[in-house]
Amino acid sequence: MTTSEDHQLVARVVSGQDVDAFGELIRRHQSHVRNFLRKLTGDYALADDLAQDCFMHAWKKLQTYSGSGSFIGWLLKVAYTTFLQSRRKSKRYAEILQEVGHAKEADSSAYTNPSDEVGDLDRFLAVLSEEERAVMVMSYACGLSHREISEATEMPVGTVKSVIFRGKEKIRDSFDIKDYQHG
Amino acid sequence: MLESMFASEPIADNGFSVQVVRKVRRHIWLRRLTLPVATLVGLLVAFKPMTELVMVIAGLVQVIPQDIVDTNAFVIPQFPMIVLGAMLLAACMLGVRMLEE
Repeated sequence: MTTSEDHQLVARVVSGQDVDAFGELIRRHQSHVRNFLRKLTGDYALADDLAQDCFMHAWKKLQTYSGSGSFIGWLLKVAYTTFLQSRRKSKRYAEILQEVGHAKEADSSAYTNPSDEVGDLDRFLAVLSEEERAVMVMSYACGLSHREISEATEMPVGTVKSVIFRGKEKIRDSFDIKDYQHG
Repeated sequence: MLESMFASEPIADNGFSVQVVRKVRRHIWLRRLTLPVATLVGLLVAFKPMTELVMVIAGLVQVIPQDIVDTNAFVIPQFPMIVLGAMLLAACMLGVRMLEE
């Protein structure tokens, strides 16, 4: 999965609205995007719906990809924006539900894993804030550099580093992990 | 340790990309159809007011001073029709520009 191949595919899509080339881009990156969104939401079905929306947004905005960073970095930025937009919508929906007295249904903002099995990662992610979760997943699960995360989240690089540090501290404090164990 | 904890198996495509590509193709078709359909609907809606407008413009042509009409009619007998056509063309161009925007 090389960046130059991604750039060639992007060029084909932008120059000729080549849907097959875009399909190839989806095949190459769907796993990363879906994994990112699954870890962010904790809900597989919702994550896959968001991933579809993310690729639709990517199709519409592909000409804005400058090619200066990695394509997966740009794609995760679109995925993160899609996630934030959906979160804003569901928050508004929750407010409306609360106004009409459905308080129980309204509480959908917390990280939940739909499966019965709760793994270590799910417990780790549950102690992190939304922002920390996104940054930690981009860094540790998707392997993005601090600069790429900074571009994806529109945070300064220094802030990205401190969010990662804070996230690691939270995990260490919550689960009593010794220093030498976490990277 | 965190890298291994966050690492996960690649997710199989299982028709995901095909589904998205299908959505993209549908989106392209919708976009292609939008302008012709909007134009057609616009024409249907605007037909009656447009004919009324044409009648009004045709009436305005009568207001053009008779001597100007006569002078030009001497050279071009279809002068009133040309004026009407030019006014309609200008109106259409303005309309198309507004649609485009």
